[in-house]
Amino acid sequence: MNTVLGLGFILLAGFFLAKLLGKIKFPSVTAYLLLGILIGPSVGSFLPSDLLNASALISNIVLGVIAFGVGQNFSLQNFSRIGKSVLWISVLEATGAWIFVTVAFLLILHQPFYIALVFGAIASATAPAATVMVIREFRSKGNFTDTLLGVVAIDDAWCLIIFAVSLAVAQAIYNHMLAGFFLFKVFSASLLTILGAFVLGAIVAALLSSLSKFLRSQAELLILTIGFVFLTIGLALRFHLSVLLSNMFFGAVLINIDKTPLKFFESLKTIDPPLFLLFFVLAGANLEISILPKLGLIGITYLISRVLGKMCGAGVGAHFARAQRNIKKYLGLALIPQAGVALGCALIAKNDFPDVGNMIFTTIIATTVIYEIIGPLCTKYALHKAGDVALQSSSP
Amino acid sequence: MQVKELMSKNVITVTRSTTLKALLTMFIKFHIFPLVPVVDEQGHLAGIVSFQNLLNVFRPYNPELLKAVPFLDEEGEDNIFHIDLTEEVGNLVLVEDIMEQKIVSLREDMSIEEAFNLMKMHLKEEFPVVDKNNTLVGMIGVFDIIREVFHQKGVI
Repeated sequence: MNTVLGLGFILLAGFFLAKLLGKIKFPSVTAYLLLGILIGPSVGSFLPSDLLNASALISNIVLGVIAFGVGQNFSLQNFSRIGKSVLWISVLEATGAWIFVTVAFLLILHQPFYIALVFGAIASATAPAATVMVIREFRSKGNFTDTLLGVVAIDDAWCLIIFAVSLAVAQAIYNHMLAGFFLFKVFSASLLTILGAFVLGAIVAALLSSLSKFLRSQAELLILTIGFVFLTIGLALRFHLSVLLSNMFFGAVLINIDKTPLKFFESLKTIDPPLFLLFFVLAGANLEISILPKLGLIGITYLISRVLGKMCGAGVGAHFARAQRNIKKYLGLALIPQAGVALGCALIAKNDFPDVGNMIFTTIIATTVIYEIIGPLCTKYALHKAGDVALQSSSP
Repeated sequence: MQVKELMSKNVITVTRSTTLKALLTMFIKFHIFPLVPVVDEQGHLAGIVSFQNLLNVFRPYNPELLKAVPFLDEEGEDNIFHIDLTEEVGNLVLVEDIMEQKIVSLREDMSIEEAFNLMKMHLKEEFPVVDKNNTLVGMIGVFDIIREVFHQKGVI
């Protein structure tokens, strides 16, 4: 199969499989992942090797685009609006999963600190798409649903920050391992990554905003926006900064300094869907089924400690924010699904840590599939228990 | 030429607490639902309601909240024919629940060339106009601008 034929096949097969699995209420993400596993080297081996080799390229582009979009959350207006409970709960459920998983990997599995840290950071992500699907299906309404939506809308942003910091620390430890562990080096390397990403994001945002007065059409807008997102991704890679953070800061600064910033974000949305499809199929194709059986204990530890972390974190957050009892008790349970952002982070980890990357990536793909099946059930249970689902669903 | 010289100053506005029923009745004689600015007590622009936002009544949540979320499947709107709404919805749903807050507004001192350009960029035909304090002072549509251009060329 040549590369272009492969691309056409992936897009069309992805479309039909998503329609098919949509009938039994599976999110499109799961369909794309399954397609990837089926046509990838572990099972069907249909995928042209050019495409498989381009996984890192595609994932960098997709993650850059996602991070840029997530940056929108950081408008000052948005912060004044989202409210105390959403802020507390989202920050603490993300940090809760991070800490619980990291500690569990250190104490139970005796993994090196940098591996534990990377797993912990990936665990902080959630899957808004799956959560929203459950809310739509049951037409749930109420204070619990409102808080839940607020939390899933912003927590990808916290995840990206947590992941970028953890990755910087993990890389510093990994690279200096032979020379000994220098706390100062670790600290300065992480600080440099974050500051560098901020400076890069801010400069690019200022440049794009000042150039926007020359724009005369939607086509030019799209070209300029994609150009700047690629530029940011490329410069971040060139100077060893975080692609995620650089693009997130790019979006965050742009939304605050430009007079009419929404047009940039909206124009990118027109090219998102096929890119996202490709990203998930390639993620699925990168799964190595042969190492799956060895991951039993790691997988189980990850699955359980992440759920506990989310539940405790959300509970503590709700307590601090003096949220209602149903939120304190059940919100963490509604945050179990895991998907795109976690996979993206795992792909980065796979490329950054050649010797353990495959283990990290395969664990995250396998647990993503499991979470995508049990996660929505947990969300349903939480919505019912919290009293936000009416007795009858009114959708057909 | 500046936007304030061409804009319509007589604008029908609503407040956050206007009910859905009042909103729908207000425009019963219109062929299409216009872009309706939402203002607060001081006349500041707080948001807008478009016909797309009316569809939010059929959704369990306001999709504006999730604009920045990646990988979200678009929801089809064809199911509005199948969703039951009760009579109370007319009084229970307020403009505040469905309005859009992340909006583009034009400053009254902006040039009409720039305004026309923004309409093309955002694929919108109408924008609310505000002064430097974000107080709503009018509305300007693409037709206001085109009409003026025809006028300048001597066609009308």
